[in-house]
Amino acid sequence: MQPTRTGAILGFALALAFLLAVGPAHAIIEGISGTNFAFSARAGTTSFPDGSTMPTWSFCQTGGDFQYPGPTLKLTAGQTVTITLKNELPPQAGNVSMVFPGHKVTATGGVGPPGHLVREAANGGGTVTYTFTVPHPGTYCYYSGTNMDVQIDMGLVGAMIVYPSTPGQAYDSADSAYDREYLFLETEMDPVIHQAMACAQAVTVDTTAFFPVYWHLNGRSAPDTMAMANADWLPAQPYNCWPQMEPGERMLMRIINMGRDTHPFHHHGNNATIIARDGRLLQSPGGTGADLAESDFTQTVACGSTQDAIFTWTGEGLGWDIYGHAPTDPTEPNEYTPDHGKPFPVTLPQEQELVFGGLYSGSPFLGAPGYLPPGEGGMNPYGGFAYMWHSHNEKEMTTNDIFPGGMMTNCIIQPPGTLPAP
Amino acid sequence: MFTAKKTVSRLVVACLALMPIVCADAAAADVYLRADVTTMTMHDGTQVTMWGFAKDSSFGAMDGTVTIPGPRIVVPPGDTVLNIHLDNNLTAAATGLSMGHPVSLVINGLTQKLTPVRHGAAPYPQYEGRIRSFNKEAAPGNASPVTFSWYDVEPGTYLYFSGTHPQFHVQMGLYGAVTKNFAAGQPYEGVFADREALVFYSEIDPLFHSMAASDNYGPGKAMSSTIDYAPKYFLVNGESGTTMNRVWTGAAGSVLIRFVNAGLMPKCPAMQEHYMEVVAEDGFAKNYPEARFSMVLEPLKTKDVIVTTAAPTEIDFYDRRGYVSIQATPSMGTVMLAQ
Ligand SMILES: [Cu+2]
Repeated sequence: MQPTRTGAILGFALALAFLLAVGPAHAIIEGISGTNFAFSARAGTTSFPDGSTMPTWSFCQTGGDFQYPGPTLKLTAGQTVTITLKNELPPQAGNVSMVFPGHKVTATGGVGPPGHLVREAANGGGTVTYTFTVPHPGTYCYYSGTNMDVQIDMGLVGAMIVYPSTPGQAYDSADSAYDREYLFLETEMDPVIHQAMACAQAVTVDTTAFFPVYWHLNGRSAPDTMAMANADWLPAQPYNCWPQMEPGERMLMRIINMGRDTHPFHHHGNNATIIARDGRLLQSPGGTGADLAESDFTQTVACGSTQDAIFTWTGEGLGWDIYGHAPTDPTEPNEYTPDHGKPFPVTLPQEQELVFGGLYSGSPFLGAPGYLPPGEGGMNPYGGFAYMWHSHNEKEMTTNDIFPGGMMTNCIIQPPGTLPAP
Repeated sequence: MFTAKKTVSRLVVACLALMPIVCADAAAADVYLRADVTTMTMHDGTQVTMWGFAKDSSFGAMDGTVTIPGPRIVVPPGDTVLNIHLDNNLTAAATGLSMGHPVSLVINGLTQKLTPVRHGAAPYPQYEGRIRSFNKEAAPGNASPVTFSWYDVEPGTYLYFSGTHPQFHVQMGLYGAVTKNFAAGQPYEGVFADREALVFYSEIDPLFHSMAASDNYGPGKAMSSTIDYAPKYFLVNGESGTTMNRVWTGAAGSVLIRFVNAGLMPKCPAMQEHYMEVVAEDGFAKNYPEARFSMVLEPLKTKDVIVTTAAPTEIDFYDRRGYVSIQATPSMGTVMLAQ
């Protein structure tokens, strides 16, 4: 059976607008490259789907727009990187700094009183310069090393990716080969801290009472995670988090926990193979490849830590033909052939008995959108399979007590040939 | 630490009763701990009533000092038996409470035959039959030591703490570390380290301590539960108010850092520039150490890491969960010298 009726024309058009996020020039992990960077720590405003706006501090490119989280640094192994940080934060923020865990950093300029972790850019326009080499490929992070109890929650965090010389790999190992890569940078926010810092009441905020009610992926809360990157209605949050792939592809998940809590990030649809932590392949001494890799369906990353995993999906194990093929139909690319032509095991209810989600295509089959009542569905024009990927600490799927939201997105398995080539 | 004669006689009894083959030529570590009351001054000057352990030279000598965390117990390589002789001075008079508190001892990861103690009919008939101690108790003001023995002490890092009202006693400070090396310079068999340092995390909710010290904690009292636990002081080796900490390696080579969490909240010890090889967890050496710059250290967890440096080095680290004591200003805390 190959349903060809495509209803919900209106929804289709709307959803196409969303899908433009992928676009022809598909820098799926947005970021900046180079070896010399001018950063400013600045105050700005982020907004979340409950309608709130949040006073936020973040690292930005000097002269560029305010953005949260800080720019994702996309570097190449072996480079020497220089970052000059200017402190444009308001007076109540005090000094600010950047740390790059796992890297030997030389800091010049700035101020470095005893008891501080790292040399800092003084409040009121002070600068400090950090220089370091990135010898090893992997997923890393940066964040403020100053008053971390306040500044991390305020937003002073970012991702750093170091690519190996071999394209299409995360590490110098074929086990890290991928077709598409996505970033999952986890953060949370306690608005009490943000409001206090906006009111310059820095000395009175009790960060031991930390109680976040906002949770983000790449700086956005669901459903904004699934809006396009650089959406003009989210000027301070340019990065989306909307993993999409075709069957048979290898998706690299780069997960970074920049929050103060751990988040059990659960990916429906399949296990993933964890191949690296903190920028180091899970490889035994003398071993080859990620021979210590682990298979898991919920990835909980330590605060300040990073983790890389490979996610694959073909529909294997479902026990029915995801395309709704007849046994005599030709197979699709990367189809799980043992299930070819096996019938869908459920009698579908009538439309009147259904409630439609925005991602329902109108049929249970991949690449086969079906009938939808007017105004229903519409966010899944190619008839992909949607898997909710989210913090399984379920309260973190809210935006200030409103469900759904928070640390959540959907992974869309798109039918073959619909996504731009990797 | 060794009292050979007493050890031998006790071992004979123990061996007959329990495990004669293992004990046949085992040496034993004997430690005299006293549970007692002390007052601790936080970095901001706040005074907090604590219950903690002191190490005395013998039962009743009272010559040790109560410390938070309690004295580190080092079981020498080759010893498989640890005897802790407990003196409980948490009497009504010492604590200022209407009744003293019994104390027991447990060490997760080391086995002993536990003999749980249940509440009797008094003073709370509604709790009769409920377990209050995981293990046999030393009554407050005990006239003779109550000895807790472990016969299978393996190399590793462990946490000892009161197994009586642990939701109360652990918060109050009745905890400490037990460590044992496989051999000198070899924390575990085949795992080598030139020097080592201990990093012991704990927390203080001052409200709980003040309620406890004023006899306002317990059934029917102003604070009847620890459900609203809200720590304000985050201690590293008993020191409050630090925002980062440092191990000074003193020389090139490898340093074993033993992380212990006696707090009620998970920590994420994170290193600034160095990778730590996580070589052991809960006293078990890992077949495949993992290189990390941050990791989770759950309550009651111990993790041993090795940092190797080519020159004498400052190893800076902090809790990446960002919990620092209330009103803490940037502070490194006492530098730990790797030894
Ligand atoms: Cu779920």
